[in-house]
Amino acid sequence: MTEPLVLGIETSCDETAVGIVRGRTLLANVISSSVAEHARFGGVVPEIASRAHLEAMPHVLEQALSEANVSLKDIDAFAVTAGPGLIGALLVGVSSASALSVALDKPIYGVNHLSAHIAVDALNSTHLLKPTIALLVSGGHSSILQVNDISSDVKVMGSTMDDAAGEAFDKIARLLELGFPGGPGIDREAQSGNESAIDFPRGLTHPNDQAAHAYDFSFSGLKTAVSRYLQQTPHFVRADVAASFQESVVDVLVTKAIAACKTSGIDSLVIAGGVAANSRLREMAEERTAKAGIELRIPAMGLCTDNGAMVAALGSIAVGSGKAPSQLGFAANSAAGLDQVIF
Amino acid sequence: MITLAIDTSTSRTSVALTQDGAVLFRAHHDDALAHGEVLPDLIQQAVKTSHRIDQVVVGMGPGPFTGLRVGIAFAQSFALARQIPWRGICSLDAIAMGISEKEFMVTTDARRKEVFAAHYVDGKRRALPIVCAPSQIESMKLPIHGEYSHEFPDATKLELLAQGETYTEPIYVRRPDAYPAPVGVKFRPMNAMDLVSVFAIEKAAYKEDPWSMAQFKEELAGKNRWYLVAEYEGQVIGYVGALTNGDAVDVLTLTISPDHRRKGIGREMLRRLIDWSRNKKVSAIMLEMRVGNTEAYPLYLANGFVPLQERKNYYAPGVHATVMRKELT
Repeated sequence: MTEPLVLGIETSCDETAVGIVRGRTLLANVISSSVAEHARFGGVVPEIASRAHLEAMPHVLEQALSEANVSLKDIDAFAVTAGPGLIGALLVGVSSASALSVALDKPIYGVNHLSAHIAVDALNSTHLLKPTIALLVSGGHSSILQVNDISSDVKVMGSTMDDAAGEAFDKIARLLELGFPGGPGIDREAQSGNESAIDFPRGLTHPNDQAAHAYDFSFSGLKTAVSRYLQQTPHFVRADVAASFQESVVDVLVTKAIAACKTSGIDSLVIAGGVAANSRLREMAEERTAKAGIELRIPAMGLCTDNGAMVAALGSIAVGSGKAPSQLGFAANSAAGLDQVIF
Repeated sequence: MITLAIDTSTSRTSVALTQDGAVLFRAHHDDALAHGEVLPDLIQQAVKTSHRIDQVVVGMGPGPFTGLRVGIAFAQSFALARQIPWRGICSLDAIAMGISEKEFMVTTDARRKEVFAAHYVDGKRRALPIVCAPSQIESMKLPIHGEYSHEFPDATKLELLAQGETYTEPIYVRRPDAYPAPVGVKFRPMNAMDLVSVFAIEKAAYKEDPWSMAQFKEELAGKNRWYLVAEYEGQVIGYVGALTNGDAVDVLTLTISPDHRRKGIGREMLRRLIDWSRNKKVSAIMLEMRVGNTEAYPLYLANGFVPLQERKNYYAPGVHATVMRKELT
């Protein structure tokens, strides 16, 4: 028997994306983003994103099928992000996937967006799917997860108390006039800056915080510190501010992720989500995990940000491990927690 | 031919299966917040009635956006999966179709204390639907049908409607809240230097009966006049003119270059005109509009202008005018 052919749809934020996988082999990953339309507002506008999803969906579907060189009739199962995310945006994907499922009489798996970000690590590799710690960092989320089984047992060890890491990048990029989304702009600017020029605070790293918040994050104090620094320093060096801010975020992320590996006795770390595209995060994580004897995996650049391949990957793992599909008419959940992996 | 019909533009999710007018299946569910959960199940029931489906027809609104998109996304993906065509119709027409009165309004709930509305005469919709306060529709003193009298889009009528005017994009009517004012468009008083460009737009917009250059010159020099142009990349792309006439302001012209329509420029000029009129402390704004101008009519209606009467042969033999009035209170 050949491995299952799974098509995944992702519309939880501003990317309309479709991915197709056979087993753990990636066949197509097509993404249409409305990010340019949000840029002038400095953040994603839900209604604009939802309108763009509806417009892009048929084209993205057709392009993915053509790249994978398969037809819809060949698909064994459909997977779709059912939450968390923007509700109006999620519903476009869930309705489209439900229509494909009903029209072709094939099973549908509503899946958790955060789990999918980690599941993408299974693609194009043969490593065993063993327990791992995952650092999930994006514009909407910053969490440390203990992944015992990606399709059924994921525990939250810690998460952000205020802003997500990507959100902090967006906000600081706006102050520094480095565009939206902020991650790439700060990353680029920081290349020529000195990361130890300014000693910005590292949130929730004080010994007093360790009891209650060992694996939690907080970036709002850092944001305030950068903003105050800019106000008080008329001739600041932009590259130094970008590099020092980035260093503070990345240092906290990597330190806490490695601490989570050590306490849980798990010697494997996956970094996923849009912020995993940050070059300083990749560099520091490689250095420090090597020193600590932890195996590090970071998905390829195009699979870090929101995409359909990750949804198909999680769908494929669910099919492969004999999970029951979702009931048709399952409700999208904008605030879905990690206890809800398959809807 | 078997048609799968879907409408999710109101609090009701409606599905029907029809074959050349005969109803094979019909079902609905009333819940303004559950279109996404309800629709797949209704469709599955329909597919059990007949697996063969030759086309999908869907209500494109207007309607609350999130629910509306559930039906449209479903229709377009279902059609893609089955490799059959899909068509979109105006959902208000699917309410109007069952009504035999000569003239009436159809309204549905637009949330935020507003309604989506369209005006029907002799069974035909006069213009694109609008969104406005319910009181404004009531002031037209016409019978009102629709969601508030428990009349919903009838999915069994969609097959027939798809033979008329169809839509490929949702009829949103209302913009996203974060939609900016027209980007890069400047508004300033008209001056003599603008007359050449203004006259060129006038000729392009009103082929049969444009104002002459002399008329524009006379207007610009006239008393109690107010003329404003919209400018984009140094080019004049539209203009509005008005005259204070006793206790009212008369709108003399509101014209947008054909290449720049449907971008919110007319809306912005009308907003400025209304502000100017309020400052003049007049009690009303009056205007005449060509009967059949389906682009301007909804704009005026949505801004509180009420049609008063028709003036026969006002512009030319056979070209009638609708007189509209907005009370400034």
